[in-house]
Amino acid sequence: MRQKFLMSSKNRATRLATLLVVFGLVTGCASTPNGDPGDPYEGANRKIYNFNDSIDRKVIQPIARGYVSLTPKPVRNSLTNFFDNVGYVNVIVNDLLQGKMTQFLSDTGRFVVNSTIGIGGLFDPAKAIGLRAHDEDLGQTFGVWGAGEGAYLNIPLAGPSSFRDAPGFVARTLLNPLTYLNPVVTIPVNVVNAVNVRANLLEATNIRDQAALDPYTFVREAYRQQREFKIHDGNPPGDGFDDYLEGEGDSAILKIY
Amino acid sequence: MRQKNRNMTKKNLYLASVALFIHCQIVVAAENLGAGKGVVEKFHATLLQVMIQSDNLGFSGRVDALVPVLAETFDFPTIARIVMGQHWKTIDAHQRSEFIAIFGDLSAATYASNFAGFSGETFETVGVEEKRGTILVKTLIERVDDEPVTLDYLLRRNDGMWRIVNVIANGVSDLSLKRADYTAIIKNEGFDSLVSKLSDKIISYNIGE
Repeated sequence: MRQKFLMSSKNRATRLATLLVVFGLVTGCASTPNGDPGDPYEGANRKIYNFNDSIDRKVIQPIARGYVSLTPKPVRNSLTNFFDNVGYVNVIVNDLLQGKMTQFLSDTGRFVVNSTIGIGGLFDPAKAIGLRAHDEDLGQTFGVWGAGEGAYLNIPLAGPSSFRDAPGFVARTLLNPLTYLNPVVTIPVNVVNAVNVRANLLEATNIRDQAALDPYTFVREAYRQQREFKIHDGNPPGDGFDDYLEGEGDSAILKIY
Repeated sequence: MRQKNRNMTKKNLYLASVALFIHCQIVVAAENLGAGKGVVEKFHATLLQVMIQSDNLGFSGRVDALVPVLAETFDFPTIARIVMGQHWKTIDAHQRSEFIAIFGDLSAATYASNFAGFSGETFETVGVEEKRGTILVKTLIERVDDEPVTLDYLLRRNDGMWRIVNVIANGVSDLSLKRADYTAIIKNEGFDSLVSKLSDKIISYNIGE
């Protein structure tokens, strides 16, 4: 009985996630001779980045662009609202884990209002009554608890992540009610979600394509900063500007906010 | 009695000068915040004009309108130095001025490309604070059919003038992005390759219009 319990797929995923976190926290940032100390797997990460980028350009982007041209914005907004709402239990749980009690209460209220008055999350009446959306996940929780980023990771098909943030994928799936429906329903629904998410990111990737000289580094840096920003809820601690004027090493993340 | 009066006078003088000093500091701090806010709002006013007259100006017209205000409101020499990281020390004076010039041109081309056309956007300043000798001006671009973009500007005083040294859009610092991006190129391919790639980017902005 116990053996069966340990080997069930959900528990395997949880064990893997725990291993990743512990490994990441213990190893912190390993360093390579010339590389960024936060990216010791840069070689493998670059390959995965190129693989993801190739699939993105050939398959996913065209689908996302087609979807945008065929689907009116209000419909896309409603779909975004629906998927954000259905994934909001993850936010609520992480509010609690981070000790953000006021936010926990507000987010619970938001979820209830949008699920009911917002007709299953298609609309966002909660925003109008002051219960605005927050963004919390397990990776941010670990960050709030003091965990460093751990090594940067590029995950096949999923994109940029880190040792600290990767377990959040598992948590997010486990806390999403859609996961527990029949696969006949969840698979097409997840495809729609993936296309909608990609469509919402087209603006960001256009900027990347336009501005980046080295897209891999650009995405890594942008990802890291976004995470810092989110962990500190928009107010990351920074260093004095003048610290950087005398040519700090390239590998130091610039902390000027 | 006289001694007591003299001590009272000294104490009053002391208190008065402390009060005056604090008052001056507050006035100076307020002036700084006002100056920083003014620089950003001047930049935004030009951006808005460029967006509204976008079609009349065309790409090169927008670039021409933006170059002088960018030179005045942005501190390109300091930005260039930070963006190059430890490699700044390894290039000579000629290469430095070449890099600063091309960086300025690229900034003008980027803004001219990204701020083309007008659909009812408004720029709003939502806060100003002084932080460790720099000023942070927090603004928002309100868009009609979309989420607002948060745009924070970090300013530093150089030669008595407050100038922008960093733009943080939706939590992502432009200075950090460029520094990581450019130093990766210099490390893997060298300074000349970086300059050539920046020139290519400027050309692609021109062609894209």
